[in-house]
Amino acid sequence: MPQTGTVLVSDTKSKEDLDIPWNVIVLNDPINLMSYVTMVFQRVFGYPRHKAETLMLEVHHKGRSLVWSGGREQAEHYVHQLHSYQLLAHLEKSE
Amino acid sequence: MKHLRLQSDGPQRLRLSGLDPVLLDCLQSLPEILNQRDAPGVRHRLFPNPTTGETETNQDWQRLITPELHHLFAAAGETVGRDCVTVVPDPQHKNHFQVTFAADHLNAWMCALNQARLILAELFTITDADMAHTDFDLDQPKDLALFRIHILGYLLQLLVEQASS
Repeated sequence: MPQTGTVLVSDTKSKEDLDIPWNVIVLNDPINLMSYVTMVFQRVFGYPRHKAETLMLEVHHKGRSLVWSGGREQAEHYVHQLHSYQLLAHLEKSE
Repeated sequence: MKHLRLQSDGPQRLRLSGLDPVLLDCLQSLPEILNQRDAPGVRHRLFPNPTTGETETNQDWQRLITPELHHLFAAAGETVGRDCVTVVPDPQHKNHFQVTFAADHLNAWMCALNQARLILAELFTITDADMAHTDFDLDQPKDLALFRIHILGYLLQLLVEQASS
């Protein structure tokens, strides 16, 4: 399935946008299996099973979880991958 | 579904056996379900925006990324559809069936089953409360959709366990 490459969506982002930490957020939905979400976190981020399960449970119980934080382009890449696994994910600026 | 099993069939193939007629019907319904991925109300779930407020980024995403995801999802469905053509009776269990497919189709199977569950959920506005229901009137379209979501979820769980093993 998802073997996705990095895609720069827009070349108009400012240097400030690229420098500010960006958060990758995953939202809960009632359909995706908990085991499936855990597997996706392991595959996309390379997280160990325990960390992937902890994040999955945060999504499940709190409705959302910050699953990664870092540069804009990498955040876009991760959101792309998460969408390819049909998870509800978006990026947002770190507070 | 007590006979349902997913196991290796040689080094590069998987065999899904013990498919009862209900499960087989769900699998054979996949193309019809997946064809609704562009239905109103479904598209935004399968192809969400990457940001909550950046209009330009979202537009770029829908223009550049969404077609790629659409192709990925469609290809997965076609792979599973072709695999399901090879369904045969299960020699171990009367009135049950089995299908074998290439092990590297496992991701396509997970993609297609998950898509189908999400599509059904969007089409019938399935909520957390709905997912807790266990009593189905299969003459009711929403109950039938819920039933299929659960059945396909059971099968997806087997695939995830295989992928994670």
